[in-house]
Amino acid sequence: MNAPSIRTIELDPRIIRGTLIGTQVLALIVYLLGAIFLFRASGGTLFLFSVAAPALILLATLALAGVALYRYLRRSSLFAFALFEPDDVILQQGDEADCAYFIQQGEVEVIRRDEEVETVLALLGKGEHFGETALISNAPHHATVRAKTRVRVAMLGKRKFLHMLRFVHPAQGDLMSSMNQQATEQAAKRAKSAAQSRKDSGE
Amino acid sequence: MSRLNPQIAAIVECTIPVALLVSVPARALAQQQAFQQDPVDQYGSHFLTVVIFIGVGLVLYSLFRYRGKDVGPISWGLLIAGAIVFPMILSGVGTILVFERVKTVQLCGSCHLTMKSYVDDMMNPNSNSLAAVHYTNRYIAENQCYECHTSYGMSGTLEAKKQGIIDIYKYYTRTFQLPLQLRHPYRDGDCLKCHAGATKFIAAHEETQERIFAGKLTCMQCHAETNPAHNVGRADLVGQRFNHRSNR
Repeated sequence: MNAPSIRTIELDPRIIRGTLIGTQVLALIVYLLGAIFLFRASGGTLFLFSVAAPALILLATLALAGVALYRYLRRSSLFAFALFEPDDVILQQGDEADCAYFIQQGEVEVIRRDEEVETVLALLGKGEHFGETALISNAPHHATVRAKTRVRVAMLGKRKFLHMLRFVHPAQGDLMSSMNQQATEQAAKRAKSAAQSRKDSGE
Repeated sequence: MSRLNPQIAAIVECTIPVALLVSVPARALAQQQAFQQDPVDQYGSHFLTVVIFIGVGLVLYSLFRYRGKDVGPISWGLLIAGAIVFPMILSGVGTILVFERVKTVQLCGSCHLTMKSYVDDMMNPNSNSLAAVHYTNRYIAENQCYECHTSYGMSGTLEAKKQGIIDIYKYYTRTFQLPLQLRHPYRDGDCLKCHAGATKFIAAHEETQERIFAGKLTCMQCHAETNPAHNVGRADLVGQRFNHRSNR
């Protein structure tokens, strides 16, 4: 399965907050210009009120419209995006599943912990996905996924993911084949690991 | 105040200075006699005072309550109302007031600084100039500069504003000449728009009326001799702050 070709602009929440506060400060300046004009009408105050105030209102409107548009696009976007640093745990074994993850950049390790023993089940890279099995089976995650390098993932919420499976049939087939392949690989890895353990204990 | 809910306390703390601020124009307006107040200016000012009061209240409440976060429909509603809708109402309705107040003598004088002597003369009860006679006797009730120096309708106003902008340019670039000269001969129409048809005018201009209306005789040809439009000589203009370059 290819990586989702989603492009998005991630804005720092501080920028959005600053913009919203800025629009309100602009509005306060407009009110101040209006009050000064009402109190003392002179050429200067009239000029500021009739020329500068509309310009400030336009600026505030554009800024607010920009934030609203950004919020709308983010809300209506299928995917949310996240960045993880090396060794960050992206999802924990045993946690409830809420998203499917599609790797856009970097590598992750899929680790299963059984009785204090950690086994790396798989190494996943760009274009691969994880977390979807728990969504389909409606069960907790069976393994922990940890970032091996700096990772950027596209996250698809449970509801959207199940909708996609229901309505986009090629995605269903693609996903099932990919899951089957992963399961086979993991089973082989586990069998190999078990054989190695038996061999070690026999010695 | 500290016993109150912090949000309510914040609103009250915001509201008191805002109320003081916006009540000032209302009090300033009340200094005029009630029968002298322009209803458009009066009601417009009161309306805009309320708009400012509510708008500032909304913005300050939103700033204190949400601190720039957009967390739901209420915060967005407050943002849109306080930062967009009320300022637009203020600016839109305020434009009506701008068109009203731009005609006042006070406002003309605040920009046309080189004409201060002319304004002073107009307000001088001892002056015999036409401007002073019209102003001090309240022959023109208000907007005296505007009434005599702009022609009818929107085009007259726009023409006056256009000339005014040229005057401002000349003032700041110090390219004006003293004594000030009219750009064109004074239009008789600006006298006749009030005087024509008046009983006193008809009685006094029985013989000359036809020639005046035909444009063969101008008002100022006769009246400037006894009553100049403005009684301002060069001596009144010399030494003023604005003319230090033009007097070289």
